[in-house]
Amino acid sequence: MDKLYYRLRTYRSVVGMNIKEILAYNFWFWSQVGAHILLTIAYISFWKALYSERDSIAGLDMQQTLTYIILARIVMPLVQWGYTQEFGFWIREGTISSELLRPVDFQERIYIGHLTRTFVSLAQQLIVVGSLALFVFKISLPTDPLVWLSFLISLLLGCSILFCFDWIFGCIAFYSTEVWGLQVVRGSVLLLFSGVLLPLTMLPTALQTIAKWLPFAQSVSVPVSILSGMTPLSNLGSIWLQQLAWLSVMFILSRLMFNFSVRKITVQGG
Amino acid sequence: MLRYTKLYWYFVIQRFKILMEYRLNFFIGSISTVLFQGASLVALWAVLRQVPSIQGWTFEQILLIYGLLTLSKGINHLFADNLWVVGRDYIRPGQFDRFLVRPINPLFHLLADRICHDAIGDFIVGLSLVSYAMVQLQLPINLTSIGFIILMVISGGVIFIALNLITAATSFWIMDSIAVTNVVFHTNEFAQYPLTFYHRSIGMVLTWLIPYGFASYYPASYLLGHEIGWMAWLAPVVALVCITIAYKGWLLGLRNYGSTGS
Amino acid sequence: MPIIDVRNLGKTYRTIEKEGGVKGAVKALFRPQYREKVAVHDLNFQIDAGEIVGYIGVNGAGKSTTIKMLTGILYPTTGSISVLGHDPQRERVANARNIGVVFGQRSQLWWDLALIESLNLVANIYEVEPSRYKQLLSHFAEVLELDEILKTPIRSMSLGQKMRAELAATFIHEPKVVYLDEPTIGLDVMVKQRIREFIKDYNQTHNTTVMLTTHDLGDIEQLCSRVIIIDAGSKVYDGPLNAIKQQFGKFRTITFETNQPIVSVNLPPACEQLNLSEFSLEVRFDRSQISASQVANAVMQQLDVADFTLNEPDLESIIKHLYQNPTAYNEVGARG
Repeated sequence: MDKLYYRLRTYRSVVGMNIKEILAYNFWFWSQVGAHILLTIAYISFWKALYSERDSIAGLDMQQTLTYIILARIVMPLVQWGYTQEFGFWIREGTISSELLRPVDFQERIYIGHLTRTFVSLAQQLIVVGSLALFVFKISLPTDPLVWLSFLISLLLGCSILFCFDWIFGCIAFYSTEVWGLQVVRGSVLLLFSGVLLPLTMLPTALQTIAKWLPFAQSVSVPVSILSGMTPLSNLGSIWLQQLAWLSVMFILSRLMFNFSVRKITVQGG
Repeated sequence: MLRYTKLYWYFVIQRFKILMEYRLNFFIGSISTVLFQGASLVALWAVLRQVPSIQGWTFEQILLIYGLLTLSKGINHLFADNLWVVGRDYIRPGQFDRFLVRPINPLFHLLADRICHDAIGDFIVGLSLVSYAMVQLQLPINLTSIGFIILMVISGGVIFIALNLITAATSFWIMDSIAVTNVVFHTNEFAQYPLTFYHRSIGMVLTWLIPYGFASYYPASYLLGHEIGWMAWLAPVVALVCITIAYKGWLLGLRNYGSTGS
Repeated sequence: MPIIDVRNLGKTYRTIEKEGGVKGAVKALFRPQYREKVAVHDLNFQIDAGEIVGYIGVNGAGKSTTIKMLTGILYPTTGSISVLGHDPQRERVANARNIGVVFGQRSQLWWDLALIESLNLVANIYEVEPSRYKQLLSHFAEVLELDEILKTPIRSMSLGQKMRAELAATFIHEPKVVYLDEPTIGLDVMVKQRIREFIKDYNQTHNTTVMLTTHDLGDIEQLCSRVIIIDAGSKVYDGPLNAIKQQFGKFRTITFETNQPIVSVNLPPACEQLNLSEFSLEVRFDRSQISASQVANAVMQQLDVADFTLNEPDLESIIKHLYQNPTAYNEVGARG
């Protein structure tokens, strides 16, 4: 019980720290908001132009597609950046060893921090992009709280899957210092296969198959499809089961990979 | 001028030596840009293959716009990538000081300090797109059209650099300008498609305020034979005006350097 | 005609005030509060050719700010600077050709490049004539013992190696004025000694003007004939090193530890009570008027002393004394 209390207290301070970190950067905050507004307008305009001469593309009508696109944009910052750069930083500066010495499990601590950041930006996105969609482009968002709840659960699972993937991916920073390039590679794959740019059903079948076998769709396409009404709630059971399966596999892999890489660093005395 | 050219070349050679030391990084950096552009293009293609045209624009015509923009972006990426990180990597850790005590222009020093080879990806993608579109659309490929494209790409590149320069200059006040640069830079995504897709006001902004339109839409329209009159030739002038204003802003920032205390 | 001429120099920073906590962060987001901080105030001094001047003060006194203004990095808020007739800000390039700068805690070389490549690049930037460059390089390689590290990238050098590399890069264009900001910080005694000798030697052969900030008394004693002391942005002393030492070198302090709480104590003449707490007492006395044993005896007769230590004066305590007695620097005949 004591241990649990201690943990919760630690987490509370970690959470507080991250919120503060996000808000501390005045310009970051407002400029991110600005960038999201701009990009949302660009996307919506593009899709509206697409639909101006036809009623449906790949079986989706404009309302469906726009809802999906908007929601995907709201979720986007959650997947945009991993923490390959942080990993690279810890390793370059040699702080990784001191990070590992702290009493809270390293991965757990980063996970909590990551989730906090994720959900703070989610709230920010929801307010900014959501109101833009609602009031400027007259796109309706779902009102059923059950849909929102299912979405949030699915999103939490999806983010955790992605977190584990990023953890595995971040371990590459133990081997290469070109962290920026790696980040871009990751971003590119995500862009296409997570469903953040367009509904995955619009992709050619071959690419859809690839997307199915990659974990990325779990963090964007799956939750967003629930919220935008493309996936009926009756399918939730199998979807969550699938997500949980992904999560367990990715989690185990991330642990293995990290332990393996850390050993490399300690052997080298880095 | 000759001195700066020689010096720049010398910087390039040194940079290359560093890159060769980390061969894996060199490789990753180069393919990362190709991949990123590739992903966006596949998404675009996935959508557009299902429709013959959007508001009269065919897939190939949109690719021409997209390709021209990518080439301009590549110029910025190659020569001026350090503008992104001037706050984070130079001003905040105090590394900018050394540029100010050396007998060369600090901006030159900053840009020469790291040319970014990742831009190879932009050039590969941009060049393929433009040539593919030109061939598919049966546009004349001759000295005039090539000369026009080169002029426009350089002008577009200068516009990109100017906008990044003026936003980078804000780091003299706020330490880290990546966020600011990020917002302005991202408006270039509008310019990937015909400006006619957007509300009139957006078109105006991208022409007169954040003039990325001159890097893509206007030159492409001219090549496609659309009637846009003298707008087709305005890009170099716009580029010159932008870079002059941006450099003035940079100088103003320099005056303010360090005044926030540490 | 002085080489460095500083008149009424002042610098004021403006910073954003932040309150702690999430609430403070949110508040700063919407309504940032600014605060003005005077870093340097009405500074005047002239330095002649060939002088080595120690520029000292506690952390935050305004040393770095001054150096940054002299080198042209920062713009002054008020006043003027002339270095060899150039305004360091307005004529940045012309000024940069004449000066060399070392920031002790930051490298100005390229992290990933081998030292020799870095030096080549620097020589190119300063347009050092190739034959002259060759000559200087071999000279520096000898006196700074660079041979073993010429092919090493800066990132894998030790602190001492880095500083030697830094000095070579700073002097390769034969600057007429050199600013050294903490050049020996964190180095071991041997390296410190070599660096001091290098600076001294270069100063004598080239008649270079050197301005040096340091916390190391050894640097000052071995290199500087003149010292400028700055506190809270203002100059508090400017004069020969000897004068300070003669004046303040005669002071010593003794710290007493007692078994019983100290209620009161009467000190003999020529003594001054510095610090007094429940179980300890620090006394400064003038060595020319009273001996340490006399002081100790006088105190021990009144208090139950468990232990005492005699402290030699160091520069820090001299400076401290100067701060505490704003009139003290007049005693030693300050100039400027």
